[in-house]
Amino acid sequence: MHRYIGRRLLGLPLVILMVSILVFTLTRIGGTPIGPYLEPGMTDEEIAALEERFNLDEPLPMQYVAWLGGVVRGELGWSAVAAAPVVDVFRQRIPASFELGAFAALWAVTLGIGLGTFAARRRNRMGDQIAGVVAVGGASMPAFWLGIILLIVFWSYLGWFPHGRSDSVIWNSLPHPTNFYTIDAILAGNLNALRDALWHLVLPALTLGYAAVGIVTRMMRSSLLDEMGKDYVDAARARGLPENLVVRRHARRNAFIPTITVIGLSIGIMFEGTVVVETIFGWPGLGNWMADSVLSGDQGTTLAFVIFTSILFVSLNLAVDVLYGYLDRRVVLRRT
Amino acid sequence: MWFHAVHVERAPVLAGEGPLRVKARRLWGTTKDVFSRGSTAFGAIVIVLLLAMAIFAPLIVPENPRGAFQMPRDLSSVAVPPGTPGHLLGTTRLGGDVLYGIVWGSRLSLQLSIYVVSGAVLIGLVVGSTAGIVGGKVDAILMRVVDVFLSIPTLVFPLAIAAVLGPSFANIVVALAVIMWARYARIIRSQILQVREEDYVDAARAIGDSKFGIIRRDILPNSFTPVAVQATLDMGHAVLLGATLAFIGLAVAGQAEWGTLVSEGQADIIAGRWWTSTFPGLMVFLWALSFNLVGDGLRDVLDPRTEGR
Repeated sequence: MHRYIGRRLLGLPLVILMVSILVFTLTRIGGTPIGPYLEPGMTDEEIAALEERFNLDEPLPMQYVAWLGGVVRGELGWSAVAAAPVVDVFRQRIPASFELGAFAALWAVTLGIGLGTFAARRRNRMGDQIAGVVAVGGASMPAFWLGIILLIVFWSYLGWFPHGRSDSVIWNSLPHPTNFYTIDAILAGNLNALRDALWHLVLPALTLGYAAVGIVTRMMRSSLLDEMGKDYVDAARARGLPENLVVRRHARRNAFIPTITVIGLSIGIMFEGTVVVETIFGWPGLGNWMADSVLSGDQGTTLAFVIFTSILFVSLNLAVDVLYGYLDRRVVLRRT
Repeated sequence: MWFHAVHVERAPVLAGEGPLRVKARRLWGTTKDVFSRGSTAFGAIVIVLLLAMAIFAPLIVPENPRGAFQMPRDLSSVAVPPGTPGHLLGTTRLGGDVLYGIVWGSRLSLQLSIYVVSGAVLIGLVVGSTAGIVGGKVDAILMRVVDVFLSIPTLVFPLAIAAVLGPSFANIVVALAVIMWARYARIIRSQILQVREEDYVDAARAIGDSKFGIIRRDILPNSFTPVAVQATLDMGHAVLLGATLAFIGLAVAGQAEWGTLVSEGQADIIAGRWWTSTFPGLMVFLWALSFNLVGDGLRDVLDPRTEGR
């Protein structure tokens, strides 16, 4: 097991390196990323000096090495959109995205597991069909549309839920040691702020989580069906265990194992989804910033974000595999 | 192989029946199997309607003389609600007819998904068969590359590429094909490795068939089923992702593109004008949903190993 983890960990930097080369090369197809730094009326000499300052006059492999050196030193460049160093903006904006993602994951995983179990136990009956519709809907639903429909109904028409991340008066009324609005509110003991935080989270978390609901439901259903057909489940039934307990204590525990894989996958998908969802809801997180940077041609930020996302994807894959190995000992035996 | 097992069971060769008729009857049997499920049949009907809309677009709404995919601007009726005479689904803030955007947008979506999927299949075919046939170091390196492409983020990565290449339809196609080919490469390679070991390939080799002949006659037809299933699903994914990129702002502004229209309508919802976003977004959903339903249905019938997933 440890050897397997070790081998995977050693492979991790290699994959990340390859991803970064790929992304770096592809984002340079369109020419040098000098655009955001140019000001009207700059002379050719000034532009050349600027390019030299950012190593943009060198061949592409050298630029990559220079960029990688910066990354190793913790310098990711300058974000023109936020007018601050990329690293600082990341640090400042991560809590908002993370908070949104956590709530989205919470409802997606809870509902997905519940719905998947429900569907498997009513195989080919009405309940199963409905769960199937919910699941395939999640895979087909454009997040940008779902978000807008929710805003039309619950914000514009009914006025039940707000837009954005916070009510600025309430937000300013309490200190923000962590920048997680919910946690800050709890730390300050401010119930009003907590309510405000949760209220603002409802619609964007619903939108962001829906794609994952579909994925988790499908996997939970199919792996529970797999387990229900096995001998040990029959054995448990033969011992006279009520069906409810057969599912809860035996079948479902094993069915969780494959489901964990897709939960890892869904977290990656949700992280990407923030680009769309945060834009719609005016959420001051990473995704919103990424969308602005992309549209303003800020390649440094784009590059940093893509590579950050890739690292997250690769790490999630690894974490899921390792977890899988711990939970299902058979996997380890086969692989080492 | 399971492919034949399914059909032999359903359609045995009758005495005195020609091979063509057997083939036709087996195909009919499979088709019936696929569409006997309600959700698949529903998806297929929606696909047929969407394709009909794309093909007969000029008959439904006359083409804009300034460019078929350019939204017409009717400045005399700006932001009118659905049901207005002449503007069945209302107009945008800029006087664009929403119905026009939906109808011509379906043609644009059809083009997008066909270009993206055929591009991805082509690259996957070349890379996958090279890896599977040459084997050894080439295989190891190519599969490593495939792994990298499978682990990159499917929204953020094309977003970055499309942003660098500049907002245009062609660049969205390129950006999506770049992330979609890897799965095909893997499918085709694994089919080659699997089929290579089959007895009938040995037989073909024994009677002196050339390598190319074996690939063309034995390996490619056997890869067809999993590729077709994946391609059906990707027809939906391509439009979903393409519209998302367009929504973020990477398509040409003012085009009859569903994602672009939803984005245009975003600013209107505070004013209570819900129609600009609602209808085009619904089309994206229907498109992705119908291809997902049919793709799932195909997989369940043609590929029983993953039944029920």
